[in-house]
Amino acid sequence: MALALVITYKTTEVPNFAQGDMAMVSAFIAYTFLTDFETGFIFAFGAALVFAFFLGVGFEGLLLRRMRKPTHLNLIIMTLGFALALFGFAGWKWGADQRQFPFPVSANEVIRFGGVSISTLSLATILIAGILMLLVFAFFRFTKLGVAMQATQQDPIAARINGVPARAVVGLTFGISSVIGTVAALLTAPLITLDPTLMWDALLKGFAAAVLGGLNTPVGAVLGGYLLGVIENLFGAYISVEFKSVVAFLIIVIVLWFRPSGLFGRHHERKV
Amino acid sequence: MTEPTRDHYQDIRLFTTKGSWIKLALLLVVLISLPLILPGYRIFTFNYMAVFVIVGLGMNVLVGDTGQVSLGHAGFLAIGAYTMVLLMTRLAVPFPVALVMAGFVSALFGFLLGLPALRLAGPYLAIATLGFGLAVTQIIAHSALFGGHMGLVVPDTTLGPFQLSGDVSKYYVIVGITFLLALGVRNLSATRVGRAFRAIRDSEIAAATMGVDVSYYKTLSFAVSAALTGIAGGLLALMTGFISPGVFTFTLSLMFLAMVVFGGLGSITGAVLGSIVMGYLNLEMDAFQEFPILGPALEGFSERFMSTVGLPNFGWVVTGALIVFTILIEPRGLYGLWIRALDIMKPSKSLDAELSQPRSGAD
Amino acid sequence: MSFFSVDGLMMRFGGLTALDNVSFEVDRGMIFSIIGPNGSGKSTAFNCISGIYQPTAGKVSFEGEGISGRAPHHIARLGIARTFQNIELFNTETTIDNLMLGRHQHMRSGIWSGVTMVGRATKAAREEIRNRERVQWIIELLDLVHVRDRPVGELPYGTQKRVELARALAMEPKLLMVDEPSAGMNADERAEVAERMRELRAELDVTILLIEHHVQLAIGLADHVLALNFGKPIAQGTPEEIRQHPEVIKAYLGDG
Repeated sequence: MALALVITYKTTEVPNFAQGDMAMVSAFIAYTFLTDFETGFIFAFGAALVFAFFLGVGFEGLLLRRMRKPTHLNLIIMTLGFALALFGFAGWKWGADQRQFPFPVSANEVIRFGGVSISTLSLATILIAGILMLLVFAFFRFTKLGVAMQATQQDPIAARINGVPARAVVGLTFGISSVIGTVAALLTAPLITLDPTLMWDALLKGFAAAVLGGLNTPVGAVLGGYLLGVIENLFGAYISVEFKSVVAFLIIVIVLWFRPSGLFGRHHERKV
Repeated sequence: MTEPTRDHYQDIRLFTTKGSWIKLALLLVVLISLPLILPGYRIFTFNYMAVFVIVGLGMNVLVGDTGQVSLGHAGFLAIGAYTMVLLMTRLAVPFPVALVMAGFVSALFGFLLGLPALRLAGPYLAIATLGFGLAVTQIIAHSALFGGHMGLVVPDTTLGPFQLSGDVSKYYVIVGITFLLALGVRNLSATRVGRAFRAIRDSEIAAATMGVDVSYYKTLSFAVSAALTGIAGGLLALMTGFISPGVFTFTLSLMFLAMVVFGGLGSITGAVLGSIVMGYLNLEMDAFQEFPILGPALEGFSERFMSTVGLPNFGWVVTGALIVFTILIEPRGLYGLWIRALDIMKPSKSLDAELSQPRSGAD
Repeated sequence: MSFFSVDGLMMRFGGLTALDNVSFEVDRGMIFSIIGPNGSGKSTAFNCISGIYQPTAGKVSFEGEGISGRAPHHIARLGIARTFQNIELFNTETTIDNLMLGRHQHMRSGIWSGVTMVGRATKAAREEIRNRERVQWIIELLDLVHVRDRPVGELPYGTQKRVELARALAMEPKLLMVDEPSAGMNADERAEVAERMRELRAELDVTILLIEHHVQLAIGLADHVLALNFGKPIAQGTPEEIRQHPEVIKAYLGDG
């Protein structure tokens, strides 16, 4: 989740608060394919990811691009508005009941390493997150498109002059991050039941992790995610289970107090 | 070249023309007589909308005027509500005092939240406030002191010699307080403090260069906003008779943000209008099918394509859509639409006439 | 004790040295101009002085007090006002409200007096009226009467620059820092600007520190000039001296 958010933010400086609910809707799509149409996992997931991609591109192209005054505040509000609409849509279409989400890897099977047991699902999640992180990192560093995306963020006009199709890049960015967000949703759904509030917690934690690691580094985001997860659970295990989520909040505040760009991020000053 | 002596008071006074006095009188008459005209259950709706208006005023101070963002105002609402109820139940504090304390305690938390906010901007601040809102509800829900998930019952309240039971008596208290607070906010806005807030929104650097202590005013803005919301929380407790953590959700915070955006950021009138609309929407969400004309159409639509049981969620779709459309089409929200309507109705002085001066073209 | 002095001012941003050992003194009542080609560090110097940047090294003193490293609002309260090259007005506010912001430090009403402003006689109301009367003459002086109640965001560039200046004047500063007042103007307009500066100095007894890209204007107006290039001071002295100074000529011609 953090990864998805960071990709968007890094390239377009848009904090996409709708990411969670976009992913949630995509997950519902997958669910619909799985249950109503009874297709296989690969097809359903594939369909969801494709849907997610177009949802992302569509959101950007139809709505974000049309904004007249894309100030930070406005962008936040805009994405929140979209998120809210999506949330309502999901609740309306599928109802607020919780459903069980079928998944190829079970959340209940467990593998043991030494004294610690991990569920196969968690293992898969960790692996996938790691793989995605490396892929994204390589993408930004080594591929032409990735470099183009970074250029667009740092200086859109210069990028355009150099032949980067900024608009396409931005649209693509949203598409990609939407896909990644959906992966997160698909991995989360089997853990807790599928309902419209599926991604709320994930969105908050995703932002927390992204902020922790630095909002403009994909690597930082994922590392932040791991870190946050570990801290949270340690806190929960040793101190108190109930206030686990409060920790997320406190951590962000503390980290940002000392390092306003997160642990690994870099800050850009505005010239007067 | 002598100009007629200007009455500078004209700039800041609320009632600039005779017309304004009349409008005010009319408004008061309407407000006072409302409970006498409407059936009982409608009064609750108005109380609810009034509470939302107070929060809207608070949100406007923070988001509209100062330009900061908060996704956690439900937290302040909760703090205000719980403070008041606890004071009244545990310490037998009389209602008026408890209400004022609700505002103060809330302001204190607002101040505390404002401190880290100094360092944070944009999305970071949004997340931090979001976290705050969630943290507040979590702490309340998990601690016995606050009644946990079960919530607390609001005791019978009296105001002086009056027993505040029944929506009507509560109405007068709530709406009366709302009116006073609106006046207070409007006054603040027209004076030094309000100007400082808006300066921070428009250009922090310039504000600082003018001698505005930006840190102080930013935290002050949070405190004022929180205080207003806290009072609203207390009044909410009064009118519903029962509070529980489930009320103060993140989506509620979103709604708060939505209503000032929709009403028009930075405009008090806008905030009031937006709050009224959204307050009504929030309340009526479970009863969409009962709307004339639109209701059955929605029901039919739901049956064919969506789920009927999920119809209340349509409210969220509407709210989200309103936000999106506001930003896209009329960023000044309802207030902006109002201005446009006025412009169409009144012919405006030609710009050239105003600007042309016998100068060498320095303009 | 000098009125205003800068001593060994250095400003580094990462690897870039924007200001390198800049020193100068300004006497009361003087018009002092800093000139230099684009990017020579003039605005950076202003930002250091007005507290927006913390200088990497060096001292700035005003009326005997060190002000380097202090927050901008403190510096403002000591009596230093400035304008911005790229205009930092409060765009959604009217002209009069922008000016009233300039009065911020001279006013006292806070939350309580603000909220309870009911009627002419209250403290907040009286303060508002009093201060609005005070800035009226600035409005008239800078010919802003007809745009007094218009949001400044709508005004033409030249008018906005006047509002920016008016706002700084509303602070009733002892030292006025003006950043490129003639940017974007033609020769006639520039002459007006120069005249206005002289008027202000004469009528208000204010000391003026001026950044000016246009060498002719600066030389014609100032009592004393400092020339910068790439953040380094290359010449300092009377306008005559500066005009003939080889380094200055080279800096300007060399840069095109």
